[in-house]
Amino acid sequence: MSHPNPDRVRGHLGPDLLADCSSHGDLVYAVRRSGSRRVLQALRDDPELRFDMLVDLAGADRLHLQQRFERFEVVYELYSLWNGWRLRLKVPVPEADPHLDSVHDLWKAADWAEREAFDMFGLHFDGHPNLKRILCHHEFVGHPLRKDYDRSRGQWCATTETLEDELALRHQSEQRRARAEGLAEPSATQISERMLVNIGPSHPLSHGTLRVLVELEGETIKHAIPEIGYLHRGFEKSAEKGVWNNVIPYADRLNYVSALSNNVAYVKAVEKLAGIEVPDRCKFIRVIINELSRIMDHCVCNAANIVDVGALTNFWYLFTVRENIYKVVEKLTGARLTNSYARVGGLARDLYPGFADEVRAVLKESMPFVRDVLKLVRNNRIFQERTVGISGISAAEAVSYGWTGPCLRACGLPLDARKRDRYYFYDQFDFDVPVGENGDAYDRIMVRFEEIFQSQRIVEQALDKLPEGPVNTAQNRFVLPPKQEVYRDIEPLMNHFMLVMFGTPVPPGETYDSFEVPNGELGFYIISDGSGRPYRVRVRPPCFYLYQAYPQIIEGSMVADMAAALGGLNVVAGELDR
Amino acid sequence: MGVRRGLIANQPFITTRIEAAVDWARKNSLFPLPFGTACCAIEFMGVVSSQFDLSRFGAEVVRFSPRQADLMVVAGTVVYKMAPILRTIYAQMAEPRWVISMGVCASSGGFYDDYCTLQGIDQIIPVDIYVPGCPPSPDLLLDGLLKLQKKIDERRLLEQS
Amino acid sequence: MGFAPLALLVPVAILVPLLMLGAQRLLAPKRPDPTKASTYECGSPPLGTAHPRLPIKFYLVAVLFLLFDIEVVFLFPWSVLASKLGWMGLAQVLVFLGVLEIGLLYVWRKGALEWE
Repeated sequence: MSHPNPDRVRGHLGPDLLADCSSHGDLVYAVRRSGSRRVLQALRDDPELRFDMLVDLAGADRLHLQQRFERFEVVYELYSLWNGWRLRLKVPVPEADPHLDSVHDLWKAADWAEREAFDMFGLHFDGHPNLKRILCHHEFVGHPLRKDYDRSRGQWCATTETLEDELALRHQSEQRRARAEGLAEPSATQISERMLVNIGPSHPLSHGTLRVLVELEGETIKHAIPEIGYLHRGFEKSAEKGVWNNVIPYADRLNYVSALSNNVAYVKAVEKLAGIEVPDRCKFIRVIINELSRIMDHCVCNAANIVDVGALTNFWYLFTVRENIYKVVEKLTGARLTNSYARVGGLARDLYPGFADEVRAVLKESMPFVRDVLKLVRNNRIFQERTVGISGISAAEAVSYGWTGPCLRACGLPLDARKRDRYYFYDQFDFDVPVGENGDAYDRIMVRFEEIFQSQRIVEQALDKLPEGPVNTAQNRFVLPPKQEVYRDIEPLMNHFMLVMFGTPVPPGETYDSFEVPNGELGFYIISDGSGRPYRVRVRPPCFYLYQAYPQIIEGSMVADMAAALGGLNVVAGELDR
Repeated sequence: MGVRRGLIANQPFITTRIEAAVDWARKNSLFPLPFGTACCAIEFMGVVSSQFDLSRFGAEVVRFSPRQADLMVVAGTVVYKMAPILRTIYAQMAEPRWVISMGVCASSGGFYDDYCTLQGIDQIIPVDIYVPGCPPSPDLLLDGLLKLQKKIDERRLLEQS
Repeated sequence: MGFAPLALLVPVAILVPLLMLGAQRLLAPKRPDPTKASTYECGSPPLGTAHPRLPIKFYLVAVLFLLFDIEVVFLFPWSVLASKLGWMGLAQVLVFLGVLEIGLLYVWRKGALEWE
């Protein structure tokens, strides 16, 4: 990852700079909270730096850490699309007065991220229009990610929120906007005549656990209020429970449709923090499983999306592709859906003999299904009427919301971390990055189809170039030694014991690392205190930022367009709610 | 099932009890309501699709409205925020109704022993069959369905649901 | 042919639903419950009234559909006996359709077929 000129950045920070905390190849500065908003705005507006994307906004409770400024800290991860530069700012917040300025108007992505920081840590963002809980239920008392909150203390919830308070806020802003534009304000009777429909957590449209309260005038959606958190399973708190490798099964279940990618994303971040070098064979295998995972995820996403639009046949075809790849994956990892295959420092096991031939055969058998589906839908008049021009978003808006992945590429921006960050030999593979034009539902579906074909190319090339050698790192203290040695010599036995009982010896420090999973940029901001157990594992979920734009892309459309819009975003609740 | 065969004027007929006939009809035409929340929902989709084919057992018609379904398959983790919704939807189903708890998260909370996860849906609704697994392989879910069919057979008409 | 098939169809048409409803009355469990009878809104409490004033567009679509549906229903008897009625029958049906198509043209030009 490349960085901007530190002097220019420092110029903007000025007297608010507390310290330079750069490490592990990242450029990081600690900034006083009184100047945090001014600094962030300057960094965004600077014509040379142009940090137009807020990749992540995370909180951290540094209660037990030696190295800290205050108890809490808010971490802003910024990215400049134009230049490809990254920058992290840390703003310490004291426990006695947990307030700081909101930046929701600088980047739209900050809206929900600040609500989450409030929900999890109790940090108040002054100026935020709607600072209420987003993941925990409305009867929850306390802030769960604080270190003094007992992990197993569950709190029952007796009722579901009606969301009328958010609706009232929307009505107010609608009237304000009408007044500002000189149009007639909607009267109280007009508002009361609109129909309120709750498209709730248990609905075929909602892909699991998404809830949207829509206010309809006829068939047109006037306001849409999403509510998330119906699958908030406490990933980040559970990650602090065990050792570094124990987080991998939890990471599987983030975007459970592409579990293998999440495995690799997590261990890559830990390896960056610990300075572990994995051998080339491991990198190639990780590329192969990541791309197979991409094919599976895009198949499910498109299958569900097209079914929601009304075409059922494609669902059976694309699920057959998925089942075919499952056969190979099950043989390799032992599980179909949630495979904990990667480990910190390598992989759980090497490939089985015959893997390459089987993968090639499976892909050869499966690609005709995908091509058939594409032939069925691409020029179909009904499909085009339902997806072309529906739920479009401009590239600038998408960047402000923090969109990444196929949805951003559908808006016309060829941003792909595999090409940009050049990790794991992706620069040696010959593949294209499909880019859409309008950012509508049609483009999102087509971009995903094209990516399936590109992933097939990558897998073929990776299988051809796959080197021999070990799959685990040579740095012994990080990986489990082979069982034969453990039973024979004392040193591997001690190594095994230390790893299992006390965890991978990741030195103290923190870093952010990202990886291109099928849905976009999955990032992990991890803090280690050197104890072998993670101190903080923050997930930067791609669909959290994608789903935030959902009200904007459906307001003004008809109810039936909600299906096409939501399917294309590939919102997986495991990742959205963690 | 208690079926008895006979011949009247060389035409075959069978006799059975009403309970047996009604249970046979009910077990072979279960309408699932997939209350899918997490990863198990993807495996449920896999069970419904052509490779494992749930419709062989009559349970093809998947209905998302509790008024039109009689088997609720809770597939995935249920968190405290979702619990009132689950309770309401179960209450809105008409008898006879059955519940399959698919996966360990629905059965007991899974490995999410934390502040937000309901430790098993049987804390709020009655469950007929627990299918373990994380996620259970589709064969296991089909086995669970067959066990439920056997359970339906063993009920008596007068003590329903 | 006569009306003999009808004499068979009508009793069956009356009897089958009665049998089904009767079987349900005898065999189905009856446990009314206020929550069970409540409005279904995906588990969340329903908001707003169940009978809001709907925009007139819905009514328009329904009425137009009804009119042209009845037109199609009238075409069925003619189509069964089309060959027997010959050219005279075809001409009469075309006149019938033509009158209704003038109405369709009027509706089209007035813009009632556009949703917005």
